[in-house]
Amino acid sequence: MDTTRNRLIRVLQEHEGAYVSGQYLSDQLGISRAAIWKHMKALEADGYEIDAVPRKGYQVRQSPDKLSKNTLNWQLDTSWIGRKIIFEKEIDSTQMLAKALADQGAAHGTVVLADKQTSGKGTKGRSWHSPAGTGIWMSLIIRPEFGPREAAQLTLAAAVALTRAFRKEGIDAEIKWPNDIYLNEKKLAGILTEMQAEQDYIHHIVLGIGININQKEKDLPPDIRDKATSLHIETQKEWKRQELIHLIWKELESVYAHYTKAGFASIREEWMQLASRLGRRVKVTTPTAIFEAVFQGIGAEGELLLEKTDGLTQRIYSAELEWIEE
Amino acid sequence: MLKLEELKELITLIDQSSIDEFDYETEGEKVSLRKLKEEVVQVTQQAPQQVMNAPQAPAAPAQQEQPAVPAPAPEAAKNYDSEITSLMVGTFYSKPNPDSEDFIKVGDRVEKDTVVCIVEAMKLFNEITADVTGEIVEVLVENGELVEYGQPLFRVKAN
Repeated sequence: MDTTRNRLIRVLQEHEGAYVSGQYLSDQLGISRAAIWKHMKALEADGYEIDAVPRKGYQVRQSPDKLSKNTLNWQLDTSWIGRKIIFEKEIDSTQMLAKALADQGAAHGTVVLADKQTSGKGTKGRSWHSPAGTGIWMSLIIRPEFGPREAAQLTLAAAVALTRAFRKEGIDAEIKWPNDIYLNEKKLAGILTEMQAEQDYIHHIVLGIGININQKEKDLPPDIRDKATSLHIETQKEWKRQELIHLIWKELESVYAHYTKAGFASIREEWMQLASRLGRRVKVTTPTAIFEAVFQGIGAEGELLLEKTDGLTQRIYSAELEWIEE
Repeated sequence: MLKLEELKELITLIDQSSIDEFDYETEGEKVSLRKLKEEVVQVTQQAPQQVMNAPQAPAAPAQQEQPAVPAPAPEAAKNYDSEITSLMVGTFYSKPNPDSEDFIKVGDRVEKDTVVCIVEAMKLFNEITADVTGEIVEVLVENGELVEYGQPLFRVKAN
């Protein structure tokens, strides 16, 4: 999408650290200096810090952490994820809007993103605390070529993509089966995936991702402080959400391409390498039972493989895991 | 894939035997036969169109003359017109979350877009819609039960 705004952003980016005159920008973009000035005001509203100095011109001091459609388009080089972005400052839930848009025919790769969710969704009707300016709350619409029987592994593939992205940033995240992301034994990110399908055809999948980024300990609800964390809490650093979002989209594209071409087998191996507590005892809560078992890994469909006390292996498709202190 | 005649023969054999469950798998094809409490024999094949049901009447006593192949169910014995099946292996949830009411119960009317249940595996949630209009006459699985691909979950009578 090559709007004037995007071209302006690009020219400023090329001259990062230097002043660019209004006249130069006006010549480059073929618009008046007054129009340039208006665009600058709009960029400021998006969160860019712009120095405007008479007779010198404009300089972008800092690309912003504030999210907007413009900042999300800044230097975006994905091939399908985020080619259409719906950004809301505040929304009930990105997942709900994405599902509604998907029902109305929104394209493969459309992403709904919000700065704040007032009723962010977790699994099983639980909520996800999503205050403004602190996290990544997004839902990606996928229209796959594969059928509903192959869909469940996508949630594990998404966890691999997220964990890869974090590790590229030097963050030692791990996966808790099937697709929670943990850092230092606390939950950092969650994935909620919903599918609308017929017998052999998937209408759409909406992949919802929630990541705690810049929350401080006091920003987390007291009842989850011992279980949840944020990148900031663990690294004592402010993170730029926009950069992380682009990185995650790239990794999602890479994993998705792999999955659709080569199947789940190759991703399964990587999933196991990134998994937490492999070979250790865990507490398992299924819809019908609670027991302890040794976490052996995952099967060909991504299902949980557990060794029970009688030595037999059990395959589980739905469960919550809890760590046991040994 | 098994021929219809072979399937019928299998059903008859198992119906007359003391076997309660029979599973057969070869090259991506899977046949599961299960005797339910009311002596119903249920056949599930992985291709969605291959779901068929034997007569619901109790098995005839052994001394009575048996046809080689069970006769098709009389129209009156079948009290439903279609079944809602699972699209994947996973856990059947009859309600949106543990504290809420079931999506539907026997006797409820459903429209095509009525959500009847959720099937979940590896945190992928599939909201299943009725896809037919009618009345729910039977719920075949319980909340929290593991279901197979193509397994019937509800029976619907069109009206």
